[in-house]
Parts: sequence; C-alpha cells; structure tokens
Amino acid sequence: MSIELITFIVMLGTFLLGCFLCKLPIGISMVLASVAGALIGGQGVPVVHLVEGMFAYVDTILVIATAMIFMRVIQESGTLDAICATIVERFHKVPALMLIMIMVIIMFPGMITGSSTAAVLSAGSIMAPVLMMMGVPILETAVILSLGGMLGMIAPPTNLPAMIMCGGVDIPYSGFTLPLILLTFPLAFAFVLVLGLKHVKKMNYAEVRAKLNTEVRKKYGFKIYIPLILVVVLMVLNTAVPAIPDMGMPLVFLICSGVGCFTGRKFNILKVSKNAIQSVLPVMGILMGVGMFIQVMTLTGVRGLIVTSCLSLPSWARYIALSTSIPLFGSVSAFGSASVLGVPFVLSFLAKNEIIVVSALSLIASLGDMMPPTAMAGIFAAQVVGMKDYKQIMKKCLLPCLIILVWGVIFILAANFLEPFIVFH
Amino acid sequence: MKEFFKKPIFPIITASVSLVLAIGIMVAAGVSFVKCWDVPMPIEGPNVTEVKMLSEWYDGLKDGPGDTPVYVLKGEGDGGAMLILGGTHGNEPSGYMSAVTFIETAIIENGTVYVIPYTNISSMTHNDPGEGNLQYFTLQTKSGERIFRFGSRATNPIHQWPDPDVYTHHPSGQQLSGSETRNINRAYPGREDGTLTEQIAFGIAELIRTEDVGITFDLHEASPEYPVINATVAHQDAMTIASEGCINLLLSGIDMALEQSPTNFHGLTHRELGDYTDTMAILMETANASQGRLRGGTSEEQVLGGVDDYYLYSESIGMLFVPWDENHHPIEERCGRHLQGIYEYTMAYNNAYPDKIVTYSGVPSYQELFLDADKEDLGGTQLGKFLR
Repeated sequence: MSIELITFIVMLGTFLLGCFLCKLPIGISMVLASVAGALIGGQGVPVVHLVEGMFAYVDTILVIATAMIFMRVIQESGTLDAICATIVERFHKVPALMLIMIMVIIMFPGMITGSSTAAVLSAGSIMAPVLMMMGVPILETAVILSLGGMLGMIAPPTNLPAMIMCGGVDIPYSGFTLPLILLTFPLAFAFVLVLGLKHVKKMNYAEVRAKLNTEVRKKYGFKIYIPLILVVVLMVLNTAVPAIPDMGMPLVFLICSGVGCFTGRKFNILKVSKNAIQSVLPVMGILMGVGMFIQVMTLTGVRGLIVTSCLSLPSWARYIALSTSIPLFGSVSAFGSASVLGVPFVLSFLAKNEIIVVSALSLIASLGDMMPPTAMAGIFAAQVVGMKDYKQIMKKCLLPCLIILVWGVIFILAANFLEPFIVFH
Repeated sequence: MKEFFKKPIFPIITASVSLVLAIGIMVAAGVSFVKCWDVPMPIEGPNVTEVKMLSEWYDGLKDGPGDTPVYVLKGEGDGGAMLILGGTHGNEPSGYMSAVTFIETAIIENGTVYVIPYTNISSMTHNDPGEGNLQYFTLQTKSGERIFRFGSRATNPIHQWPDPDVYTHHPSGQQLSGSETRNINRAYPGREDGTLTEQIAFGIAELIRTEDVGITFDLHEASPEYPVINATVAHQDAMTIASEGCINLLLSGIDMALEQSPTNFHGLTHRELGDYTDTMAILMETANASQGRLRGGTSEEQVLGGVDDYYLYSESIGMLFVPWDENHHPIEERCGRHLQGIYEYTMAYNNAYPDKIVTYSGVPSYQELFLDADKEDLGGTQLGKFLR
C-alpha cells in the first residue's frame, strides 16, 4: 500500500471521526484531517500550507457573505414581497410559462457570474416565495432552486468550470454557446415543470391573492424594485460593455444592499448584516477547511493518486470514473474538480470534439455543488426556503442529478456525431 | 466537569484561546509569506554591462511591484538585439534558471542581449493556493549555497485583485476564466491603462519596439500531460528561422517539436509580440514534473531532479506527451534544452539577418549541462557548477 493511499485513508478517517463521532463542525473536521494527512505524509504540521490553502476560497467567501447580506436586505425592506405579488398577479393564468420564466430568472445570476451560490441567494431568494405562494411545497421549491443554481452556473455565457478546463488545455473559450444551451436549458425546463406544474395547476388564485402583500408596493411604488434592477444592471454591465471594469460580485451585492436600505421598509442594517454573516459562517468555515484539505492532498501526492487512478482505467471504465470522481471531488469544490480532474479527462478524450467534451464535463462538475460536505447549492437553497436541514433536498435531487450525469455522458459519447450540428466558431 | 462547561466563562475561555491561536498562526504564516517578497537576483556575469529596470521603457511601472530588472549584455562588435524572457511563470523553474545561467555565463561578441530573469516578478512573490508547492529550492554554486524562489503562474493577488469572473483579453476580446487576468502570457500586447499584468506586458512590448529587438525567446515549462511539450511555438514570421533551428536541434540529438502559433489563441508572446512588434517571437516548453495534476508529493527532488513516480506510472498508461523513464527530467536537461534552443535559433536568425547578428559564447550547452554530467550530479549539482 503506497504512502499516498495510507495518507488518503487517514485523512478520510479523521474527517469522518471528527464529523460523526466527535460531532465537530465540518470545517474543523477538515482542518484536523488536513493536519493528520500532512503528518502521515511526512510534512509535519505545515502551517504555511494550511493557511495558503485557505486563500483559494477568499473570493468565494466574500461572494457568499455579501450575497447573504443582500438577500436579507431585500427580505427586510419588502422588495421580496413586492416582486412576489407582482409575478403571481401577472402570470398566474399561464402556469407552465410562469414556471419556465421563474427557472430562467433563478438561473440568470449563475449564467452571468458563473456561481450557483449567487443564483440561489439572489434570484433564488426572490423566486422562492413566489413558488411557495403558488402552492409548490417547500421541499420542491428548494430542489428547483438548487437545480436552477447548478444549471445556471453551467449555462452560457459564463461557465467557470469550462473556462478553467479551457485554460488547462489552452483552448479559447469560444463556440460553447450552443452546446451549453443544449446541455442546460432542456433539463432546467423539464425539471421545473415536473416538480412544479402539478402543484401550480391546483392553485386557488383567490386564496393566494389574499395572502399577497401588496401594501409595500403601494406604499413605496417603483423604488421598492430599485435594488433588484440595480443588481441585474451591475451584473450584466461588464458583459454588455466590456470597457467598463468588472467590479466583482461582492461589491455589486454590497452596493445593492446599501441602496436597499433606502428603498423600502426601514430596518437595522447592522443587525441584519450580523444575522446574515452568522447564518453563513459554517459554510465559510467549510470552505476554509476544504482549501486546507486540497492543499495537503496535493502536497502529499494524494491528488496525484486520485487522478492517476481514475485515468488508469480502460476507456469504457473511464466514463464510470468521470461520472463518479468528478462529482465526488466536487464535494470539496466544483471548480477544484474541474481543474484537478476535468483537465486530465479532457486530455484523455482528445480524439473527441473538445468543446463538447469540456461543456459536458462542466455540467458533470456542477453536480459537485450538491455533494456534501460543501453542497453549496443545497445548503443555500435550504437557507433560502427556511429548511433546517438540506438532507431531504439531497434525496429529492438524486434523480435529477442522475439525469444530469447521464445527459452529460451522452454528450461526451456522441461528441463527434454532434459536432457538425452544434459547434459553430 | 460537566458543570464547568456549562459556566458562562467557558465560551469566553475557548474564544480567547482560539483567538490567540489564530493570531499566532497568522503571524507565523504572514512572516513566511512576506519573506517570499524578497526575490533572489542573479549574480552579474562577465558581460553584464548594465542592469536597468523595465520602467525605463514604460515608466508607469516605476517603483511598483511589476518593475523588474533587465540585464543588458552588450558585445564589443556591432549587431542586432535579442531578448530572453525567463520567469514568465514563476512555477516553471527551468525558464528563469536558464535566464539566470545566461546572465551569469554569457560573453557577447556581437550585438546586445537583454535578459529578464523574472518577467512577471510579482508571480515570484507568492505561491498558488491549492498547489502545495515549495517556497524555495537551493543550489550549490561556485560562491556557495544559493536560494532560489519557486513562484506562481500568476501575478500576486496583493498586487492585482480582485479577478473578474471572466477575463476579456485586450484587444482581441477573447474570453478566458477570470484568474487568467493575472497570467502575463495571456496579457500581451498589454496596455498602458490596463491591469498591472497588462502594464508589464506593455513594458516588454515597448522594450522590444524601442530597442529594435530582432528575436525574442520566452522560456516555459509544461506539465508532462500537456500536449505542447518539448516543443517550440513560433509566430508565423519566425517559422523559417525556427524550422532551421529546430532541424539543428534534432541533429544534435534534442527531440524538439515545432508548432506555428495559432492565430485564434490570443495574449501569448508567440502570437501578440509577433503581431504587435517586429520581433521574431519564439516560445519553448520543457517537461516540469512539479507542475501537473498527475504529480506525486511535493519535494525539491521533484522540482530539480524531475523525479516523480506518478509520472513514471502515467507514462505506462499512455497519459503523457513526453517520454518518461527512470532518468526522469532533471533541471540540467530542461535548462540545457532552453539554452541550446536559444543558441540554434539565434544561429538561424544570424543566417537570415547577417546585418543584425547576435553572437555569444560561454553559455553551457546541452552537452555540457546534461549529456556530459555524471548521473549523480543531475538534479541541481551540475547546474550549480555553472552558476557564480
């Protein structure tokens, strides 16, 4: 048994021991697993490496923190109530169309930013009350949000896992639009209709209308929508006008949160911000732990062990390997999985059209956002709808995730057949 | 005991201990990171006539984190100008160690050679999170033990942050992942009012334009599983020279592939410096075991000796684009390839442009660095023998 395998087993064992036996927070368990791995791997307690690893997630943590503040601000100010009332009033007569529209809205921030977290916490938090108001149960709502976030981060124009893989094999990120549309939108529309239509069709509009909060809209008028409009404008600004520098998602969320303080109901911004940060602290802790975990895996050669083990399989088994290893490694990070495993898999499929292979692998990598312990899409969807635990969401997402996986693998298998029809430079 | 944990003072104690521990870790790591800002420089060789800063060609870089030393080696005879770019990527040691070796050994007979050992000097001041790289490696040289930095692929985020979600290359409009915005080999031809990385790229292009640099070498390494490896990539205008040089390399026993720079992949030296200046832009790649995703645990032996059993195994499953055996790919072989490549391509350039020749001697050849070395000296010792 190689030292790398022993190290890996020790890291996993320490993590599981910390989580389940000692009931420690996941983030702390990952820190302990990293330290144990480094010790077994002959690296001592590499303080510098542990700290350096955490820095991999600084930007993500800032996005999460500020997105959560934004979400709480639009909740408190009444913007959510207003938008919810408007959508239900306008579109209740065409439920299928409305569900598809809601799905596109949930996906939109992910399409622009490449982040499922941004999608779930911004548009997801706006659409969740609409869905629930129309009769979609809380669990199905959370599942729609999770899937919308995941598919949104893969849908064009911005697909960060694909861009990471392109960077790894030096191909330009162009020609991906149609493959990514075909990989994401059919699934997204099918999922939202299957999960929501039967409930929405039963909606008693008179009852729902009575529950709608239209007071805020009447009191504050158009200005109640300004934070939402502003967030959309600032998100698309750099894409629409590349000459304007990208200000980054954290700043976008902070600016819109600041504006939200003056456009609706009054609230204590400090208290709201404190509560928002408190609610995402465990997730931020997990990400810090994940950063250390990956750093130690690389430092000790465990990453090499995992990647070479996957690639050493015969070609038919390689499909099984990518279907399991990429989502599983995504449990530490979907982006990390795209880089660590996605790039070698792209290189192993060089005989196939690389644009379709990269697109499909990015779809499979997105499943990492539903894998515990990070499970960003699931955790944040649970927070948005007010569920204490995301385990039920995970169970309900199992079948859609399998469908996503199969859809991705079909595209890889048929890459060369599909190429003349869907790849245009 | 249980009662103690229920007391209100317990959370305060745990919080205080955690805070002290966190501060301790922060200080220890911080001191280590700050030390990395001090990048060891080459020792001036017999023919270094001047050490300038890149800001002399673009003053927007002056005294900033992107301002990097340019070693000028001027020959007694007339001739053209040549530029060697080492350290484009701080995690590709044979790139900057070849430039350092050239500075410390070359005697220029005709023309002027500009050598930038650390093209993106900011990338030398930190490491890539998640990669678990070394911070330093050491070599025994003529003057004793010398320490060199192992850096990052990209500009230090404390010098350029935050990354956009998507990096749009200027002027082509090509889109890449946001982190590539700090990769100088995606930033050419650069721009004055751009990011720090774009400004450094602009400074390099300005140097080439101002000094009428006829031929430019950009020295790289790649992971062994990457298709463009043990290869030269040349701008279409440089293909005649590159072809002649490549044939001579093959005749001298160096397996070198030659590719023309793709016209649809932007930001790289071999594309943009060829398009936006009059230089012959040539890029070379060697095989770096410490760079890829298939590699084993981090060690100095891996960085300098190229020793990695996971790559040995990866060769057996057909995942590599470079032959790999028990000899691995030591730093002497990688630097030898670069230095011999510079020599052969320069000779071909001299044949094509006899009025702009650049000739030099003293720089160790592939034969001297690698083929003639005792096996036990490979992995740093042999290279150290040539350094001052």
